[in-house]
Amino acid sequence: MKKLFISPKHRDYAIIALLIVAALVPLIIGLNPYLLTVLILMLIFIIYSSAWNFLTYTGQGSLGHAAFFGLGGYGSALVATAFGLPPFMAVFIGSGVAALAGLFIGAICVRLKEWFLAMVTFGFAIIIQTLVVSRQLSSITGGWDGIAAVRLVGGGGTANLLIEYYAILAIGFLVIVLFWLILRSKTGLAFDAIRENELEARAAGINPVKYRLFAFLVSAYFSGVAGALEVHHLGYITPEIFGVDISFWPIVYSISGGLMTLAGPVVGTIAITIVWDNLQAFGLTYGRFIIIGLLLILIIIFLPKGLISLPARIREFQKKRKKSE
Amino acid sequence: MAGGLDVILQVCIWGLYAGCIYILLAIGLNLIFGVMKVVNFAHGELLMLGAYVTFTFYAISGFNPYVLLVASVPILILIGIAIERLCFRPILGTGKLNEIFISIGLIYLIQNAAAVIWTDEYRIIHSPFESITISVFGVNLPLDYLIIIITTILILIVLYLFLRKTRLGKAMRATSQNRKGAMLMGINVERMDMLSFGIGSGLAGAAGTLWVVSGQVFTPYMGSIPAVKAFAIVIIGGLGSIPGAIIGGLILGLAENFAIFTIGGAWKDAISFLILIAVLILRPTGLFGESAE
Repeated sequence: MKKLFISPKHRDYAIIALLIVAALVPLIIGLNPYLLTVLILMLIFIIYSSAWNFLTYTGQGSLGHAAFFGLGGYGSALVATAFGLPPFMAVFIGSGVAALAGLFIGAICVRLKEWFLAMVTFGFAIIIQTLVVSRQLSSITGGWDGIAAVRLVGGGGTANLLIEYYAILAIGFLVIVLFWLILRSKTGLAFDAIRENELEARAAGINPVKYRLFAFLVSAYFSGVAGALEVHHLGYITPEIFGVDISFWPIVYSISGGLMTLAGPVVGTIAITIVWDNLQAFGLTYGRFIIIGLLLILIIIFLPKGLISLPARIREFQKKRKKSE
Repeated sequence: MAGGLDVILQVCIWGLYAGCIYILLAIGLNLIFGVMKVVNFAHGELLMLGAYVTFTFYAISGFNPYVLLVASVPILILIGIAIERLCFRPILGTGKLNEIFISIGLIYLIQNAAAVIWTDEYRIIHSPFESITISVFGVNLPLDYLIIIITTILILIVLYLFLRKTRLGKAMRATSQNRKGAMLMGINVERMDMLSFGIGSGLAGAAGTLWVVSGQVFTPYMGSIPAVKAFAIVIIGGLGSIPGAIIGGLILGLAENFAIFTIGGAWKDAISFLILIAVLILRPTGLFGESAE
């Protein structure tokens, strides 16, 4: 493993500091319902991006995670209504639908080259959308109108939003800790081996298909959890949840933060959300998508390890300059 | 429904016509993949640009939209070359994931730039031959469909002659067969990258013009569905195989139209995906693909 940009001890402090900031932020910026909503959606997308990023550890890239995000949402909304489950339980049960879909797509694609996986997943989200709005399934899914979902914390109002915020913060933290535990275990080592050289991994007795499928399953499930949280937060779900931009956001967030790192999706989501909201304030509609697209291209070309590699890059640059002086 | 031979023939022609646009897209993808070993996921956006270029020139000049192929193809070739030089060349060989994700940025960029330039209204052009139908074996077919099918065949013949008979075409095929070997033979492989991306984009532009003249609506966000179809064809036919793209395109066009006819239009897009899954399970490298690396 390459040298971290901060030492492990500092890293622990950084995580604790980040958590404290996250816990205090709503109190600092004031209990404004709009800002709280932005923060809640940001947390949900941190979970979603982290789940998407989990897949890249095995060298796989998905262009259609909206399928799992949306299926988790539909699954959870339907389960909650049908069985009268509390939403916090429905979120974890309903996301099983996303996990099943992930298992299905994964089983077909994990043996194939990266290109195929990206092409199949790109199509998958769009196809799921056409199925959800099709006449045969509309009676369950509500067609283009969508269906209502139980609110995560009923009632609305600033106090309830605050409870939602802390609940989702806790879930997000636990999910990332879970990813961390998986990645530092033998499984994580197997992921690295498969990504770096599949042939050698095979020779070392690692079954790439098994591990890739496992990564796909975990990634799909937690994307579903994120989708379910969003649906229960908003109180409704429409087929637009399968849209291309929902598939692309976690990619933008993870790449700008730093692929194949736990901190990357978190940093990327926060940074891009801030940029995005400020662009919105300037009244750009299409313009901000153009800016995000340009930003993504520039980051891939000039900063392939993402924003979290920025401190190291700056330090390197300073060292070089000192030497030349 | 009257399930006679004439109906089957009609559906076949529809399938052929739908297949034409997909084939042009898929061949472009395969050409680029053959030479550069990258897949441009923003290929559908190039089709959309082709459609809007045609639309713009049609609005200005009022020419017959078929003639505007001479505008859309060269412009898209230039756009393709620019994309290759500015976006794909700097990251070539830095890892598959980077090569995949750079097109996501392109999709955002192109879609929304188009929305700024042309607004996101639904647009449609009426072909001058719209109301003309001709009767073949007792089936009435719109003239436009036939022209589109013939135009596609002509484009494919020109492409075939270029790849088989010209020095440049041979150099391109050599590069796609063995990049290092081609380099040792004195072929400028980077120029081949540029050329293949340009031609691939030009074919997408032609597909865009044909999309417009066939009277289908277009918006800045129309690109993703045809792109998904093209990916399905590429997978069905085998990545990098041009004959595979033609056969795959025909299979998909026909299957889709028979699906519309038998189980309803909403499932049209799902059918292509089901075929794709079936092919991946039975023959993971596609019908004509080389065996995996």
